[in-house]
Amino acid sequence: MSDTLKLTDEEIVAKVRSDDRDLYAVIIERYKNKLLRYATNLVYDDDRASHVVQDSLVKAYINLNGFNTKKKFSSWIYRIVHNEAMNVIKKYQKEIPILDDFDFESDEDIAKDFEQKETTEHVEKCLKSIPLIYSEPLSLYYLDKKSYDEISDILRIPMGTVATRISRAKKLMKHICQKN
Amino acid sequence: MSKELKNITNNIMDQIHEKKIKMKPRAYFIAGSILTFMGLVSSVVASVFLVGLIRFSMRSHGPMASYKLDQILSSFPWWIPILAIIGLIAGIWLLRKYDFSFKVNFKMVIIGFVLAIVVGGWIIDSIGLNDALIRRGPLQGIMRQCMQDNNTQGGQRCSPAGWGRNREN
Repeated sequence: MSDTLKLTDEEIVAKVRSDDRDLYAVIIERYKNKLLRYATNLVYDDDRASHVVQDSLVKAYINLNGFNTKKKFSSWIYRIVHNEAMNVIKKYQKEIPILDDFDFESDEDIAKDFEQKETTEHVEKCLKSIPLIYSEPLSLYYLDKKSYDEISDILRIPMGTVATRISRAKKLMKHICQKN
Repeated sequence: MSKELKNITNNIMDQIHEKKIKMKPRAYFIAGSILTFMGLVSSVVASVFLVGLIRFSMRSHGPMASYKLDQILSSFPWWIPILAIIGLIAGIWLLRKYDFSFKVNFKMVIIGFVLAIVVGGWIIDSIGLNDALIRRGPLQGIMRQCMQDNNTQGGQRCSPAGWGRNREN
């Protein structure tokens, strides 16, 4: 098991594809919390976010042979979650709660340090009050620690656009969130 | 965290063990890639050929000074540019499906794509590839129909050899 933990995502995927299906559980464990936070930031609902994550992981498994192991698995799985979340947003467009009234439920796994946790919560609250096209790259960059290149892969937008959106998102965050 | 997410690993792994979810075979993705590539190539080829066909159609009316604009408009085969545009849209749509398309400036890709098609159509028409196609190509029927139409309407010829002659007349 300890050997498995040392393997990269792409190596595990290669093993899952060849014969060892049980190793897919390692992938799920590695990603489920990160993906849930990402999905929650997109759909603003814990239950829907859980469904998005579960459906995405199932889809990823079904299409695992279509994944190019020379590329980053994390970008691929985040892309699948992004697509699933967009489908949910379109489906429930009218039902999505008004952002300012949204009562965010804290997640103990987000950050161990209380100060960091509080900051993260505040940032996540603020993220909900700016348009999705800006909040999504910003959350990927700061909360999920993705590089511009990875964000470009996940959102399928050029790197220049990623930089522009993050820059605008920061200005919006400053403008909106410093009032609170 | 919802209870559902806590059980997500077990849920998915159970489905895998019970074979409720199965991986799609590698051949499925290889076939998909091949078909996508073929679709892209055929839409480009069709667009190039249709550009050539439009030039052919315009020339088959004779020298520019000898006919009126309304004659061009009335006899112009509008379905050809419409098909060419559809071909272009389909080509661009397929191109966007490719992973690399978002990494480059998409405006430049579209401009390059359109230029390549127009230049490709012009070159094919200029080197006389249309001549070969009219004799034994897949659009033989369309070309023949055009020739017949022109013969009955204006008495002008649009035979392969006539393309050049009409321009010179």
